[in-house]
Amino acid sequence: MTTMSTAFLSDAAERLRASVVGIANGRRGRRAAGGAAIAWSSDLFVTSAHVVTASHATIVTPDGRAVPGEVVRRDAERDIAVVRAAGAGVPAAVAGDPYALRSGSLVFAVGHPFGVRDAVSVGVLQAVSPLPRGYGLNGHGSFVWIQADVRLAPGNSGGPVGDAQGRVIGVAAMVVSGMALAVPVPDVERFLSGLT
Amino acid sequence: MTDDRTTLAMLSEQLADAVATAGAALVAVHARPRLPSTGVHWKDGLVVTTEGTIRREDDIAVTLPDGRHIPATLAGRDRGTDLAVLRIASGSLPVATLGDPATLRPGHLVLALARLDEGGPRAAFGAVSATGGKWRCWKGGEIDRWLQSDLEIYPGFGGGPLVDAAGRIHGVNSGGLSRALATTIPVATVNRVMAQLLERGYVARGWIGAAMQPVQLDPTSRQRLKHDGGLLLLSVEPDAPASRAGLLIGDVIVAIDGHSLDGVDQLLDVLGGDVVGKTLRLEVVRAGQPVSVDVVIGERSRRAR
Repeated sequence: MTTMSTAFLSDAAERLRASVVGIANGRRGRRAAGGAAIAWSSDLFVTSAHVVTASHATIVTPDGRAVPGEVVRRDAERDIAVVRAAGAGVPAAVAGDPYALRSGSLVFAVGHPFGVRDAVSVGVLQAVSPLPRGYGLNGHGSFVWIQADVRLAPGNSGGPVGDAQGRVIGVAAMVVSGMALAVPVPDVERFLSGLT
Repeated sequence: MTDDRTTLAMLSEQLADAVATAGAALVAVHARPRLPSTGVHWKDGLVVTTEGTIRREDDIAVTLPDGRHIPATLAGRDRGTDLAVLRIASGSLPVATLGDPATLRPGHLVLALARLDEGGPRAAFGAVSATGGKWRCWKGGEIDRWLQSDLEIYPGFGGGPLVDAAGRIHGVNSGGLSRALATTIPVATVNRVMAQLLERGYVARGWIGAAMQPVQLDPTSRQRLKHDGGLLLLSVEPDAPASRAGLLIGDVIVAIDGHSLDGVDQLLDVLGGDVVGKTLRLEVVRAGQPVSVDVVIGERSRRAR
């Protein structure tokens, strides 16, 4: 039997990790994925726009299969994109509500920092709001971002930020002044509307 | 499994509660261009922040948790300990609930908090890394307790509190005292410096007006005088406490006010206390003979800080 102090976020992380895939630009499957993506339904994957710059992308499933996909929607300004990859067979993540959390709530990120597959980093939520004054982001600061005290690295882009229950609350996008920024799930769902 | 899940959710809730509790006593301080810093409502009408974030002495304002923007005035600042105190209207927000930093051990969960705008308090999460006794920081001030944590001090988090999992405030985080880890100025230091700042607007530090260097005594003197070393006077300023007391170049001060001296730090510790204007007894070795000299401690020029 495990206790909270030894298990900590491992159950929540395990649940969310099952829905995280690697993703690379183009039709050809590559093992070295450039970023991460989140299984949103049986064949739709959400990632960052800056991860998929071409019209096609390749999903790398947790069991190592390369599945070709097509970029079906992309918003460079909001830094979010959707890839359709039929037959990937990856379980969809459970969506959580970032607005139900408070500053100090435990959160974690899953991604491929520096190529390490499905690595977990842990921290707390700071805010779900536009960026504070003095945190520069070339005009993107007026978007509502999940702002978290979680370590992100290149390779976390497009991966999930999750809550203590292992539900995805946002899509990791970038780091500003050391702070992790993610697109909140309600914005992701609005972006996905009409896609099935 | 279910139990773990519940306990983890409870921990998450507890951390968020701690942020809400401590965050109720935080303001955003607007005393520099662009980026605000954080202030802690330490006592009613008194806000503590870090000295390094105060870039202007007039036209200072704070943002309260309810989003109101109110004026603040600078009550005093101390570069040595990186602390500044502001006055705001009484009853503006709840007063901080303080903890006892001596109860924190390496590994304890802690949060660094900030308020940067009209939004809620912000938090960074980590653990206490190292604790210890008194130390002197590179800015020259004495800090009553060594308290460092594995916390990211984000822009604007300077002046914000170190908070435990119950929401108690253990001190004020300074971005300027150490690069490697977050350094917290503990409750005792904040209280001590605040009292002096409210009394005279700055922290007075004692001064005797002499240059000195540490030396070892010769073996015979060591045995005879029960002191291993002391501070050798290299120069004595005219019209200063040391010269008025008759101290001479070549004297070796082995003790001040009953404290043995074998380095400059111990002398600075004594002079950093509440000693200005007081008469302290120095034990001196002059030409091999012990003599006692009473010195009226002066005040170090504020320009010299």
